[in-house]
Amino acid sequence: MELGFYLLQLLTGLAYASTLFLLAVGLSLIFGAMGIVNFAHGSFYMLGAYLLYAFAQGQAQGFWQGLLLVGAAGVVIGALVERLFIRPIYRRPEEYQILLTYALLLILEDLVRFAFGAAYRSFPMPPAFANPLFVLGTPFPSYYLFLVGLAALVAFLLWAFLQRTRLGVWVRAATQDREMLEALGVNVPLLYTTVFAGGIALAALGGAALLPLQAATPGMAVDAVIQAFIVVVIGGLGSVWGALLGAVLIGLLQAFGILLLPEMAMVFPFALMALVLLLRPWGLLGRPPAVRT
Amino acid sequence: MRLLLLFLFLAVLGPALSEYGLKLLSEALILGLYAMAFNLLFHQAGLLSFGQAAFFGIGAYTMALLVSRAGWPFLLTLPLALLASGLAAVLIGFLSLRLTRIYFTMLTLAFAQLLYAVAHKWYAFTGGDNGITDLRPHGVLGESLPFYYLVLASFALGVGFLALLERSPFGYALRGLRDNRARAEAVGIGGFRHLLLAFVLSGLLSGLAGALQGALQRSVFPEYLFWTRSAEAILATILGGSGVFLGPAVGAAAFLFLRVLVQSQTEYWPFFLGVVLLLTVLFFPKGLAGVGEEVVRRLKGVRGGVPQS
Repeated sequence: MELGFYLLQLLTGLAYASTLFLLAVGLSLIFGAMGIVNFAHGSFYMLGAYLLYAFAQGQAQGFWQGLLLVGAAGVVIGALVERLFIRPIYRRPEEYQILLTYALLLILEDLVRFAFGAAYRSFPMPPAFANPLFVLGTPFPSYYLFLVGLAALVAFLLWAFLQRTRLGVWVRAATQDREMLEALGVNVPLLYTTVFAGGIALAALGGAALLPLQAATPGMAVDAVIQAFIVVVIGGLGSVWGALLGAVLIGLLQAFGILLLPEMAMVFPFALMALVLLLRPWGLLGRPPAVRT
Repeated sequence: MRLLLLFLFLAVLGPALSEYGLKLLSEALILGLYAMAFNLLFHQAGLLSFGQAAFFGIGAYTMALLVSRAGWPFLLTLPLALLASGLAAVLIGFLSLRLTRIYFTMLTLAFAQLLYAVAHKWYAFTGGDNGITDLRPHGVLGESLPFYYLVLASFALGVGFLALLERSPFGYALRGLRDNRARAEAVGIGGFRHLLLAFVLSGLLSGLAGALQGALQRSVFPEYLFWTRSAEAILATILGGSGVFLGPAVGAAAFLFLRVLVQSQTEYWPFFLGVVLLLTVLFFPKGLAGVGEEVVRRLKGVRGGVPQS
């Protein structure tokens, strides 16, 4: 019983970590490759949840098609936003990028409130996950396992993409030296659009995947982006494995922190982030910034 | 001199305003002071702090706790609010200033959010998300006009101090560090020491603004420490123009004016704020001050030919 309880708590933490990873990895890649601090990242996570609700018309049967549509919509929306708003400000100082994406956060939050209302929107559990799995006599929600599997799959595919494909090599090269990449004849603006669209699609998927567990509200974007920043800063800006490690640490910290010291559960992630920044500012798995002359 | 005229004008304006007008102008001056404090770090020292809300909130909570728990008169709490936010700035600045650029920004954000989480959860001390309410200052300061003069005096002192600072050797040292830290340090300017002093001064003034805002609203909530409050300082500064001395204060006034105007028409104020911000960043990166300069330039009949930096 005791063991089963802790296992369940572990799985809960990992399931939360999975959606955090989907959210944070795009933020990390967008910063790494493009140097853009995307404060609107959580808004696309929120948008993903609402889009799943709309595409599936609130019906559990529509879950799978809905998830696919959310991914596709994320790519299109991400590409449009990059072209229209992000592209003009690449060479601006960071504060303008932060403000522009903050403006997008405000706009998207109100657009969703306008379209769906301020009330919570919840979504039923898809039929495939209606029954729990029994391990050691303890029922485990099978949807948690699906989330962990989804995140593991995405992490593997991203790794394969970055390490094994030409486009992936370019993305990694962009994190090192953009000018050189451009000089070698790579279409960097198109590469940026691709990275941004991919990151947004992953965030939207993450938000949609969380919907059967947690109702959507327009205010979830702000919480999400702060959590994502914590994950990315802990793991290391620009690193896929860093995002994964950060997400798992924060997920477990939440799941077990709330058991040990429920009052302080909210404080732990920020404390961990401050600690990592002080000891290893470039993150646990990040690379120290190269010295430029 | 022009500053003195502005303060004088604002002082004369006081009695002519309605209750509502006084409250609004007080709020604009407080937000203006807060944004000017932020801009000391941002423009003079080239540091983007995303944690100014920490000092704004500490100032507000110090005032609120002393008034509501210890029964202190409001005016006496102001020096303590300054002291508390200053001490917090020494600590946070000492840790954060070891990092640069985006890492500095993130660490200031982390500390402010840490304080927010504590204020939000520590019901016994801060009242948690119920906040601390019923903070009307006793006596004459509970009325709008005297309180407005207190706010105006604080604004005038703070802004006057910042103006002197900008022209002082300290101001030149900060700008030197901003433009080229290695070179500035090579000629003997202690980088860390100067930046820490700027950080603390900015924190002090933010704390003063927070304490005044708490008294104006008659209540203090954890939202005073939340990151959107830090964003407000950045927003007012960019809206007004960070490169002009009074830009942040002008931006603060414009921000509040716009909010009142839009909120009387629709509940979707964040949407409008977002659109205005988007247009400012994309088309008017120098803010209202930049637009003003452009208008003056056109009026004087100078066309084109000015090199863009």
